[in-house]
Amino acid sequence: MLDHDRLELDATLENIPRFRAFVEDACACGGASTDDCFAIKLAVDEVCTNIIEHGYGPDHHGAISLTVEISDGEIRVAVVDNGRPFAPEEAPVPDVEAPWQDRPIGGLGWHLIRKMVDDIRYQTDGAENRLTLVKKFAETSGPGNEQERKNGCDD
Amino acid sequence: MDVTIEQQGDVSVVSVAGSIDALTSGQLTQAFEEQIEAGQVSLVADFSGVDYTSSAGLRALLGAMKSSRTRGGDLRLAGIRSDVFRVLEMSGFTSILKVFDSVDEAIASFNS
Repeated sequence: MLDHDRLELDATLENIPRFRAFVEDACACGGASTDDCFAIKLAVDEVCTNIIEHGYGPDHHGAISLTVEISDGEIRVAVVDNGRPFAPEEAPVPDVEAPWQDRPIGGLGWHLIRKMVDDIRYQTDGAENRLTLVKKFAETSGPGNEQERKNGCDD
Repeated sequence: MDVTIEQQGDVSVVSVAGSIDALTSGQLTQAFEEQIEAGQVSLVADFSGVDYTSSAGLRALLGAMKSSRTRGGDLRLAGIRSDVFRVLEMSGFTSILKVFDSVDEAIASFNS
């Protein structure tokens, strides 16, 4: 079973699909359902996009590293960056029942993150930010099955 | 992500295939804006080829919906896959956007 894996890439929007694919593959190899893997993939996308667009912003370059751990029926993805710190509790809560005329365009990223995962942990020392997303899942298939071998899970 | 546009009478069908995220959503926004600026305000987004959207896709949809409605038109969705539907539903979009199983039904809704 995959217990641990890590990916570090430049914090650019061009790398967002690679961050997603990395998390989705790790999640599938861990035996989670496609629904659960979609959820954690989306949450990681939103976090990485926020770091790229707001944490580093257009004037700073940096990296994002993802570390995936799967055990005890949960997947934990730690997202580490060195951009501007941002505490998740500061993200405004949108009104998703408002009439269309009153809906602002944007501001749904953190809403989706909160909906998609079971726990969000955040630490920063001002220089390095570590946000951990936790998604609980019911294992739907044991590791090492045919589909997972096709996906290269034994590597 | 690929975007293609086809005119069906007075309706512009914007067919999208692939993943919509912060990298690709600008292309979708631009496609909608070009239609609306050309006076084509009755829009159907065919999402049957969309396997993923982040909140960036929601921004593109809401912007086009507001822009078309304020000009007397609308943006309606067709063929949404279950994962993408879940994202729309969680964000409260299924209560403000008209959603149809097929493109034909979405087009017909403009004529009814």
